[in-house]
Amino acid sequence: MSTPVPTVLSAPQGTSLQSPPIPQGAGSASTPSTAPARIGATQRDGSSSLGTFGVKSGLAQMLKGGVIMDVVNAEQARIAEEAGACAVMALERVPADIRAEGGVARMSDPEMIKAIVDAVTIPVMAKVRIGHFVEAQILQAIGVDYIDESEVLTPADDEYHINKHPFKVPFVCGARDLGEALRRISEGAAMIRTKGEAGTGNVVEAVRHQRAVMSQIRQASVMSEEELYVYAKTIGAPFHLLKETARLKRLPVVNFAAGGVATPADAALMMQLGCDGVFVGSGIFHSGDPAKRARAIVQAVTHYNNYKILAEVSENLGPAMVGLTIDANLKGGNFAARGH
Amino acid sequence: MAEIKPRRSVVGILALQGAFAEHRTALEKLSLSRKLQILLVKTPEDLAQCDALIIPGGESTTIALLARLAGLSEPLKEFVKVKPVWGTCAGAILLSQAVENAKKGGQELLGGMSITIARNGWGSQVESFEAPLEVEGLRDPSSPFNGVFIRAPVILQLHPTTDDPPITVVARLAPGLLPSGLATLNASDEPRTFVALRQGLHFLTTFHPELTNDNRFHEYFVRECVLAGK
Repeated sequence: MSTPVPTVLSAPQGTSLQSPPIPQGAGSASTPSTAPARIGATQRDGSSSLGTFGVKSGLAQMLKGGVIMDVVNAEQARIAEEAGACAVMALERVPADIRAEGGVARMSDPEMIKAIVDAVTIPVMAKVRIGHFVEAQILQAIGVDYIDESEVLTPADDEYHINKHPFKVPFVCGARDLGEALRRISEGAAMIRTKGEAGTGNVVEAVRHQRAVMSQIRQASVMSEEELYVYAKTIGAPFHLLKETARLKRLPVVNFAAGGVATPADAALMMQLGCDGVFVGSGIFHSGDPAKRARAIVQAVTHYNNYKILAEVSENLGPAMVGLTIDANLKGGNFAARGH
Repeated sequence: MAEIKPRRSVVGILALQGAFAEHRTALEKLSLSRKLQILLVKTPEDLAQCDALIIPGGESTTIALLARLAGLSEPLKEFVKVKPVWGTCAGAILLSQAVENAKKGGQELLGGMSITIARNGWGSQVESFEAPLEVEGLRDPSSPFNGVFIRAPVILQLHPTTDDPPITVVARLAPGLLPSGLATLNASDEPRTFVALRQGLHFLTTFHPELTNDNRFHEYFVRECVLAGK
């Protein structure tokens, strides 16, 4: 039966007085999609609405089963598109270089991002510093398709993340566990990724974060309502989002892997652990043969359960990026600890 | 003694990249679903078992490349010639005869419907929107359908030859909602307002019925294209 479409709420900028939205419509959930929450939506001539949570989380759903690749110029963006990337992340320095060079990492030059937008037909994402809502306003103005409020850049605010609801452009945010993921969704993130440890070529942190999220979802899914109230407090998650997650038995938005993926096997590992898709940062353009490795990772994400294809695409890719051990001496520090 | 059961129709969903899981969920909820077997298609062997196919939303360039690398390009082109196929968004682009705003160097299509389509017709993601659609031929046609348009393509032109099956319009968008610059067009036969088309066994929607709880388009495809000849 058809679901009646609720009246559109257009939230005035800077206020969100409506009851909190429950984002809907993610992934392979057994019961996805009622009409999405509409805080932040703006109306166009009375009958259509732009920037609804439905179109924000919907774009993430279209990216599922795909690979989003970090690129620093139009030429790399074209290589990524030809290799089957479902989107590119435009940035001035890949995380491995941010780590090596140090200093404050900021939003990229809008002109450089626009050159990448013009070079490809696939969606273009770009990063802003945690809490830097003006960088986000600028990226929305130049028409990027997704914003990553990213711990890879130097945080602009060590307490508050951006209130992402009033933006028409959707946001993806990193998370290390379920509480962090649901806090970001509560702030308006329409997509979640593991934080991992970017720029290391070491997948261990991404695995840790994905396992933590999945384990906590499994625990929550068998809890009584009384237990969920207490668990929400324990993990610092909004109750209504935790309850919805427990019902769906998955995050209520799309969840990608990120931070340390360097090989097709790494990508397939994250998919088998329950991710919906994969970000690859330094792993492609810091390797011996970027085009070939990019294509192999794209195939590995599609065929993540087909061991024969995984073996074929892993052959003869040339040197992978140099990996780093993640310990107290890690150059550039632990990015994943930024934001909470 | 083997029990003789009527064979169920196998509806495949191309599962290379994009929102294929959402289509499966929508099909499973149909009251017709017991007449169907649903199969996620990643290889030519999977496709060979199918009686009909849904090509989901995603990135058309990614799906076309993965199809080629999986050895599915030619089998898909053969499949489209004879079997029912529904394309949503990226899938609609792949079913078109010609595409504008293709990636540099052009991109591979499957064909099947005699139309020209433009990718990203409204622009970037900040122009993505939801709007009520006028529908024809669906169950409960007086009730508008909530169309979810995400970096959606625009149908530019219909060009069926006399040998092609006729094209019917199943859903339209109000002319005022067209991309800026085109919004003044008011003719009811303007192809840019067409957002769901049927031609013979083929069906396309430039928006995403699988992202809503309204399964009337899934029901339409199964009833009109998949089970009609049974």
